[in-house]
Amino acid sequence: MAKVTREMVEKAGLNVDEIIELLVKNAGAELTTYYYYTILRANLIGLQGEGIKEIAETARIEDRNHFEAIVPRIYELGGKLPEDMKDFHDVSACPPAALPEDPTDVMAILKVLVEAERCAVRGYTHLCNITAGKDHRTYDLALSILNEEIEHESWFSEFLGEGPSGHFLRRGETSPFVSKFLK
Amino acid sequence: MEELTKEELQKYDGKEGRKAYVACNGNIYDVTDSFLWKNGKHQVIHHAGEDLTGELREAPHDIDFLKKFPVMGRLKK
Ligand SMILES: [Fe+2]
Ligand SMILES: [Fe+2]
Repeated sequence: MAKVTREMVEKAGLNVDEIIELLVKNAGAELTTYYYYTILRANLIGLQGEGIKEIAETARIEDRNHFEAIVPRIYELGGKLPEDMKDFHDVSACPPAALPEDPTDVMAILKVLVEAERCAVRGYTHLCNITAGKDHRTYDLALSILNEEIEHESWFSEFLGEGPSGHFLRRGETSPFVSKFLK
Repeated sequence: MEELTKEELQKYDGKEGRKAYVACNGNIYDVTDSFLWKNGKHQVIHHAGEDLTGELREAPHDIDFLKKFPVMGRLKK
């Protein structure tokens, strides 16, 4: 634990254990999403699915990056990951992004993807709202992830015909906002 | 439809296998089966057994989310 780091957050009036719990839940959501997206991506095939595979893959890799970026903050603040991975899955901040009943239904897969991203956008907005002006490092982390989740949402929402999002798929490196936490 | 007081609502806190009810705008919703309300807690800081009308105004989603759950009763004024 980074003692003074924790003390600063406490002094700002935040309940550090609640922040840790939120970070654990979001780390759980990222790792489980990475897992479930692996299955979704494998099923994005055929004329319709193939066009979505690339952004699903980018979103999947970036969610794994988000997991990696969150974990150090948990330990800095004096928290830890659950020892049992089953518990970790069950405390996830978002429901499982499970493969739809009909795995050939690309629109149904897209809906699962967009709902997962929307859950993430809400979750990191919540974390930003709580930490703004108080826990600067968690805020910076949550905001960096939020920037990427918003792009994930917009990619999938365009394919669902919800109108233009103003975004283009990633060119070059993944995680342009979160990479500073991965170095 | 059942009417519960604020005190009666508190019993439905979702802990130790109890049902998880939350109130909003006078309606009481049953969120027991929601993945996002496990153990009567939502996003760590929101608790079942309470009137969340005020908290929902600040939430990063609108009240339609709650409207997906069955209404179990009304909150007594
Ligand atoms: Fe993510
Ligand atoms: Fe995402």
